Amino acid sequence: MTPNGVTAETVTRPAEPTEEVGQWAGQSVPRVEDRRLVQGQGEFTDDVWMHRQGYAHFVRSPLAHAKITSLDVSRALALDGVFTVLTGEEAREMCSLPFFQIAPEPAGKIEEWPLAVDKVRYHGDAVAVVLAETREIARDAAGLVEVDYEPLPAIVDTVRSADPDAPVLHEQVGSNVAWKGTYDWGDIDWALQNADNVVKIDRLHFHRFSSTPLECNAAVVHWDPGTDTVNVRSNNQMPMFASMVIGPTLGVASNRLIFASQDIGGAFGVKIGSYPQIAALALLSRKAGRPAKWTEYRTDHMLSAGQGNERVFLDTEVAVLKDGSILGFKTRAFDDAGAYLHYEPLGAVIWSQVCCGCYKLKHIRVDYTETLTNKCPTIPNRGYSRLQHLWFLERMIDIVARELGFDPVELRKRNYVQPGDYPYETPNGCVYDSGDLPRSLDMALDLIGAERWRERQRALGTGSGKRIGIGIGSTLDSGTNNFGQARIINPQLPFSGNGEAAYVKLDLYGEINVNLGTTPQGQSHETTAAQVVADVLGVKPRDVHVTAGFNQQQNTYVAFSGTYASQFAVTGLGAVKGAAERLREEIIELGAYALEAQPEEIELRDGACTVRDDPERMIPLIGIANIVYSNNAVLTPEMRDRLSLNARYVYTPPFHVPDPEAKTGNLTLTYASQIHACVVELDEESGEVEILDYAAVDDCGTRIHPQIVEGQVHGATALGIGAALYEAFEYDEQGQLQQASFYDYHAITSLDAPDIKVADIESPSPFTLNGAKGMGEGGGAPLHAICSAIQDALGPDDAVVSESHNTSERVWRLVHSGERGDPRGVTVSTRDSSE
Amino acid sequence: MVEADQTHAIEVTINGERQAATVPARQLLVHFIRDTLGLKGTHIGCDTGSCGACSVIIDGKLVKSCMLLAPQADGAEIETVEGLSDGGELSPLQRAFNEQHGLQCGYCTPGVLMAATFLLRRNANPTEAEIRRAIRGNICRCTGYVNMVRSIEAAARATAGSIDAAARASAVIDHKEEEAQ
Amino acid sequence: MLLESVAYARPETVDQALEMLSSTDGAAPLAGGQSLINVLKHRVASIELLVDISRLEELRTVQDRPDGTLEIGACVTYDELEHSEPARAAHAVLADVAGHIEDQQIRNRGTVGGNCCLSDPTNNLPPILVALGATMNIQSAGGVREVPAEEFFEGYFTTAVGEGELLRSITVPPLPAGGGAGYSTVAVGADSKALVRAAAMVRADGQIEDARVVLACVAPAPFRHTGMEGALRGSEATAAAVREASLVIGEDLSPPGDVHASADYRREMARVVARRSVWQAIEQGGGRRG
Repeated sequence: MTPNGVTAETVTRPAEPTEEVGQWAGQSVPRVEDRRLVQGQGEFTDDVWMHRQGYAHFVRSPLAHAKITSLDVSRALALDGVFTVLTGEEAREMCSLPFFQIAPEPAGKIEEWPLAVDKVRYHGDAVAVVLAETREIARDAAGLVEVDYEPLPAIVDTVRSADPDAPVLHEQVGSNVAWKGTYDWGDIDWALQNADNVVKIDRLHFHRFSSTPLECNAAVVHWDPGTDTVNVRSNNQMPMFASMVIGPTLGVASNRLIFASQDIGGAFGVKIGSYPQIAALALLSRKAGRPAKWTEYRTDHMLSAGQGNERVFLDTEVAVLKDGSILGFKTRAFDDAGAYLHYEPLGAVIWSQVCCGCYKLKHIRVDYTETLTNKCPTIPNRGYSRLQHLWFLERMIDIVARELGFDPVELRKRNYVQPGDYPYETPNGCVYDSGDLPRSLDMALDLIGAERWRERQRALGTGSGKRIGIGIGSTLDSGTNNFGQARIINPQLPFSGNGEAAYVKLDLYGEINVNLGTTPQGQSHETTAAQVVADVLGVKPRDVHVTAGFNQQQNTYVAFSGTYASQFAVTGLGAVKGAAERLREEIIELGAYALEAQPEEIELRDGACTVRDDPERMIPLIGIANIVYSNNAVLTPEMRDRLSLNARYVYTPPFHVPDPEAKTGNLTLTYASQIHACVVELDEESGEVEILDYAAVDDCGTRIHPQIVEGQVHGATALGIGAALYEAFEYDEQGQLQQASFYDYHAITSLDAPDIKVADIESPSPFTLNGAKGMGEGGGAPLHAICSAIQDALGPDDAVVSESHNTSERVWRLVHSGERGDPRGVTVSTRDSSE
Repeated sequence: MVEADQTHAIEVTINGERQAATVPARQLLVHFIRDTLGLKGTHIGCDTGSCGACSVIIDGKLVKSCMLLAPQADGAEIETVEGLSDGGELSPLQRAFNEQHGLQCGYCTPGVLMAATFLLRRNANPTEAEIRRAIRGNICRCTGYVNMVRSIEAAARATAGSIDAAARASAVIDHKEEEAQ
Repeated sequence: MLLESVAYARPETVDQALEMLSSTDGAAPLAGGQSLINVLKHRVASIELLVDISRLEELRTVQDRPDGTLEIGACVTYDELEHSEPARAAHAVLADVAGHIEDQQIRNRGTVGGNCCLSDPTNNLPPILVALGATMNIQSAGGVREVPAEEFFEGYFTTAVGEGELLRSITVPPLPAGGGAGYSTVAVGADSKALVRAAAMVRADGQIEDARVVLACVAPAPFRHTGMEGALRGSEATAAAVREASLVIGEDLSPPGDVHASADYRREMARVVARRSVWQAIEQGGGRRG
């Protein structure tokens, strides 16, 4: 025994030798998640089975807009193996309140229930849900639910839906306007009057698509009468948001509404939107007295899981000086939120995190209208609300370059925020933390060998039937939201700041365990959290066990917890680091106590506390754990009280509440950049586009795991290329979705996707604990780059690329627009210099 | 006479184990594998045979198990992702996916691994174009396919390396045997 | 999605299969199932009994006859056709078409007969079989009858195969001397949903002696465009002449328009794929001028 009563054996037992300690962050260590996933041992939601579970199947509206005149479930109930059927009307009766609305009045009056009541508002709107013994019977029974509809006129166009005489979706709102406001920073009227050139662009249209995670939404929900808790095993990616929305609706307190998940098969923001279904399943389970298991079919997913925002920009005017300096722009934006507001209308402010994009624009006015249409509700799809705006800005830059005869590279470099400008404050008070955009662009152009392609382009001439175009996409991936921006939408909302929580503890035999508040879907949180903890506690990443998945009863969390919006490297790892440091302090204090040394003398490395100048005096982590867990009489009462070896930390970014009047404030903490460059070849006679080369230069500050960053860049790039060329959700005039399966929705394949050249710059963020910036969403750079390249390949008389989705037919029409004399969609007015 | 009942007694060999069950005629093979046999590694991502998450190898052929009825597999030898590793020891292909970051969320991965297994059995040294063609039927929404291609290339190299090593070893043995004679 | 209740049977012989198909109401043959299972999952067709013919060895061979004719069993898979030595030797273009049907999984299960009997106007094989002058051998209890491919595809999802009948095999005659075949598609993505297809067989020797030009996806079934064939016959085997001949394709077509492409675009692309396939056929046959 040492004087403090710790057994000598534990004190002197040598720690296992380690080859290297410290600085694990920054290394591409092998992912720990992979071992289970490559062996088919992951646990996704459909893999979960509960005793007495039934299978749920939703009954969906075939019409986009209709009154429900009758709903008869008797034939379904009569089918052998059917447990129960829940209708919209019954669901409403079981609920305390409709879902909470973010929107201010009048759109705040929208009444949304777990299932549609009285009327349906989009193709796929759920009117009832069946629970049955097998998947097959549930599907059969859903087909036996008889619903009579009285069709109503549908509205699918966002601009027209704002008309006073358009058919109204939600009568209590009085119109289809979900939110309307003017963002006005600087003095755009002055800028347009004083510009040498004003470029007017009639219409730009950003289309609907989604990242369509390969695993559809799923949940096993059990309203357990024994404990009076609602257990939700799901793949929802933002469970605390889901809980806060559906808890009051179900009348269930959040301490009885328990969310859990393990492996999630991709989400990309789309899986924020499964809460109405989860609420319906909770009621279904309550009614049936059984767990309700639901796995969405792909068709259900395409119809109703949530799609990305569609946006139209009308009557844009850009103020440009002779030297190419762009003063600013004004535009009228119409954003299509679909039939219900799920997370919307937050998109109506989130774009303003990047209001000037990569450019030093000072004068901006955006008249912003978000509307309701008879289409699937939108949901924050990867790059949410910013990629639409960034696409608009990149189109604007390319169109200005073409119309006024500037080189698109030089025009960008002239207007980019420069390396010396950081921290750079935008006209709306956002602060760009760091970066080097001109160098990123040069690197991207070098990677594709842009000069060589320019020569090829010139040499190709006419008559070859082919055209080459070089395109650029400059984007910012803003990460770590200040939720206070919600107040710009609705000043009554009691939200601000952001945060994430983590637990790090030393376990019984000195093992290290980490619990996160996040719900990763491939972002490798187990791997990177272990790297960070290993550095703080002086062990190897494989000595750190990070609990897979999230369980509300065992993990720690805050209301912002989840995995969304490019923030884990900042908030999640900030929390992990903070908790590990708290644990480290306790370990060192206990080590010093055990070794009768001062805390300053203690080094924590190789899994042990060692006295710096006397390495013979050491105690391994097992000894530290022993003191607290099973040997606490050796401690002073004060130490017993205070030290637990269980450390929780909540990382909170240094935000203030934005100004809802001026619509200004620091809306996001970090700004990663993504500069893409590509080369395309267009076939003149068919409009087919082939990508000849593609490069992405990423700057997300200090990287914790470069290989994972690169993987995120690859993925965001392929999804963006898919969206630019193939992927779209389109509705006909009656509101019928035309691409409700992967047969019609052409998700980009390995044959369509190019190899991607990747390079990086690391401009550490001065605002984060580790210099990292959030990344992963990517800002939609491929959409911008592909559109830019198609534009570059077109002739001077051809129309401008005004659509974000460019099928072969659309490109073919563009290629021949000049010879056909189609409207170009753009005009320039030049100030008379004699004035 | 041939039975035309609604249920069928079937027998399959799955990852080397014999399994017998009575299945409804309309049950999809993927649901038989997942729900009846409890092998959850084979996934479902679509309704249309488009995504390949349910890919398995049946009698040596890569197929999508959501596009077959369970009774169609009667008598077949089925290989799924669970059969790729040997007692928890990752195969060279699985190791390559780990080392090259060939997966993110891991949902499409089992199907991709089966597609790659089929490819490498047929073509031990595929080009990038051949690899891309081989995984055309496997939709991945995370990786952009770049690191999947690299993983399969690396697995081919590793396997070829071990074949080379085996060939060298056997050449040495042959040589020694010759010397001994 | 899941199928409605259905019965399943796996006969041992073609005769047994025919017996089941003719004696059971709502019976349908199930071969590779790569389209049929989808149709059933989406519950857009109702079938009482699936008669699984995919394992019938009599339907699973590719044979080359001494006269150069290729006989392809209806249950030969796309993958088997792609890698069949006799098929590749006789009709490389046909083997290539089979090798670009969707993906490896579908090629491993999908059958030549299924591709034809579904008669989806966007399917890959019908236009090339029509262009090559194939014969479809339809078997019933009464024996085998031969139907030219040109007459086999009757319209959207309908063929010459009647009740109680099965497509047994397809015979493809050898290319004539100086003949070549070509195939061209404009699709949504690589090896994916076709917007328009054309297949051609051309006999040329500096001058085009004969041409069969088949268009698909622009009508309920693939069809020979006799106007372009006529314009090609006797003209020089040059790219310019082929282009000129393709211009007769136009207003005579009433292709469908949908979310993937308008009718106008499909009509324009019909010309494009027609000339591409014809030019490929000329190149393959070695008959280009100069």
